[in-house]
Amino acid sequence: MKKLGVRSVIAVPYIWLLMFFLVPFLIVFKISFSEMQYSIPPYTDLVSWADEVLTINLNLGTYAYLINDDLYIRAYMSSVRIAFFATVCALLVGYPIAYAIARADTATRNALLMLVMLPSWTSFLIRIYAWVGILKNNGLINNGLMGIGIIDEPIAMLNTEFAVYLGIVYAYLPFMVLPIYTNLVKLDNSLLEASADLGCSPFKTFMRVTLPLSKAGIIAGCMLVFIPSVGEFVIPEMLGGAETLMIGKVLWQEFFNNRDWPVASAVAIVMLLLLLVPITFFHRYQARELES
Amino acid sequence: MTDTASSPMLEIRHVTKRFGQLSAVKDVNLAINKGEIFALLGGSGCGKTTLLRIMAGFETPTEGAVLIDGQDVSNVPPYKRQVNMMFQSYALFPHLTVEQNVAFGLKQDKLPKVEIEAQVHNMLGLVHMNEFAKRKPNQLSGGQRQRVALARSLAKKPKVLLLDEPMGALDKKLRSQMQLEVVDIIESVGVTCVMVTHDQEEAMTMADRVSVMHDGEIMQIGTPSEIYEFPNSRHTAEFIGSVNIFDAAVQHVSPQLSQLSCADLACTLNVEGGINAIEGALVGVAVRPEKIIMSRQQPQQINNWAKGSVQDIAYLGGHSVYHVELDSGKVVMATTTNTDRHEQRLTWKDEVYLHWPASSAVVLCQ
Repeated sequence: MKKLGVRSVIAVPYIWLLMFFLVPFLIVFKISFSEMQYSIPPYTDLVSWADEVLTINLNLGTYAYLINDDLYIRAYMSSVRIAFFATVCALLVGYPIAYAIARADTATRNALLMLVMLPSWTSFLIRIYAWVGILKNNGLINNGLMGIGIIDEPIAMLNTEFAVYLGIVYAYLPFMVLPIYTNLVKLDNSLLEASADLGCSPFKTFMRVTLPLSKAGIIAGCMLVFIPSVGEFVIPEMLGGAETLMIGKVLWQEFFNNRDWPVASAVAIVMLLLLLVPITFFHRYQARELES
Repeated sequence: MTDTASSPMLEIRHVTKRFGQLSAVKDVNLAINKGEIFALLGGSGCGKTTLLRIMAGFETPTEGAVLIDGQDVSNVPPYKRQVNMMFQSYALFPHLTVEQNVAFGLKQDKLPKVEIEAQVHNMLGLVHMNEFAKRKPNQLSGGQRQRVALARSLAKKPKVLLLDEPMGALDKKLRSQMQLEVVDIIESVGVTCVMVTHDQEEAMTMADRVSVMHDGEIMQIGTPSEIYEFPNSRHTAEFIGSVNIFDAAVQHVSPQLSQLSCADLACTLNVEGGINAIEGALVGVAVRPEKIIMSRQQPQQINNWAKGSVQDIAYLGGHSVYHVELDSGKVVMATTTNTDRHEQRLTWKDEVYLHWPASSAVVLCQ
């Protein structure tokens, strides 16, 4: 009876994941092996039954197409590159913020944490759109700089890769700050004192004690920023230029502009496989940490 | 008492530490000799930990100076002081192995690798932890962690070793064993050591000299027996061990034998030696429970005795503590050793006489 209770509690999230993650994934996986056709739905069936003959049509052509057309490979590479450097930037910005919050006294700490999370209360889309207003040629920054005479001509910021980096770092910063903060706030102050006692200057103490001990928080933060950044669509679409190639944008175009569901599905599946690498790495690391 | 031939290894001169309105340490002066084990003893909030942290450099004194080996280090940060501390929580680095923990400070000195390895091996040998060199701190027991912490704080050959509540995290049995072992290790290295503790037994077991602190001030400094046998204040007498204090008025002072009167006693109180108080002054007379003799017969002496009835008995195996209520209502503690198994011991409500020699009592002026 008790076992049944425990099982049913665990069953709820499992059923949820099964219904809303595994089933859609399998549908997308299925579509990626079909062929595009002008119908509703716009793809062929994998299995057909006619004249007492069971036909299975597995179209591997879509995947071959992804490899042959260099657009997709370039888009994947560029997405990973942008996500990687954006994650590094987010780490460089987020770590000091997390550190400062963790070192602040309890009263200010909560206020600072609130400030980190507060922007998330506004719609993601509106916040990214606001950056358009800030970055565009006659936007806040350019008008301001020209107004005080530092520059004569507007600096092109919108529709550049710089804007995409800025957008990703801005949007995903809380996901970097919070895990690192959670980690740093647990750091025992006597360890820092012990390090100082044994001859380490504050900087050396940071390098030899604080940083290694916050490794788990850094990895978690980086994963939380990197993984959604790779597939990011809104930021490159709104802030990036025509030459900013990201897989999220390609996916959107295949799906809504070309109406090629099989290719769009295959793009999504490959992206997922690509992201499995860092995720497995992360899990391995976590398991090892738990063991020791 | 102090060695005047050599200058002290650690000197605290008129050190005061204020946190806002609160003074944690008030005008403390200390001179700790080379090779000495010195204990700062006091209850919680007495300022002993703040004083230790001032020695380590984690706090800077508001006033006064700290001198190590004759040099003023008041404004020297902890990482530049030749002082190492063993923390109460041990503060071992969880991400490093035992040997890496011990090597931590040595690496900072840019020593050659071979030398570091040799020193780590030495230190771990000293605390019998060589076989655990590759373990992480969370794979060690409390006692083992303490050994590693001690090895780590000794590895850099500090001029002064600081111990913050060294036995605080250990259980009682391990504690008494480690107390002696830590002292052996410290003495074999010959390092000057300052320890902080709230446990008087620990201070008396481990330290050569003890200073009793109360409310940010040092009440008394002396060897364990000096502090126990000749407390200079009510606070010290009550803090160290148990004591009976009779409120008394000075009647007659003489260098051989002074006389006092006490409302709780029918006779005069005699105390050996002179008293630093004028006649008529109100003082306390302290008598330790083990110095009081109990008997069923009225004692021969005419002074220093009392009559009462047994109110409570605490049988502690090796000895028993009797609480005897005097006619005035004052309760006096007396201890007897249980040497004879078949002895007819005093029991509740028994009428007893208490008496003690004049040499056992101490007059407390403050």
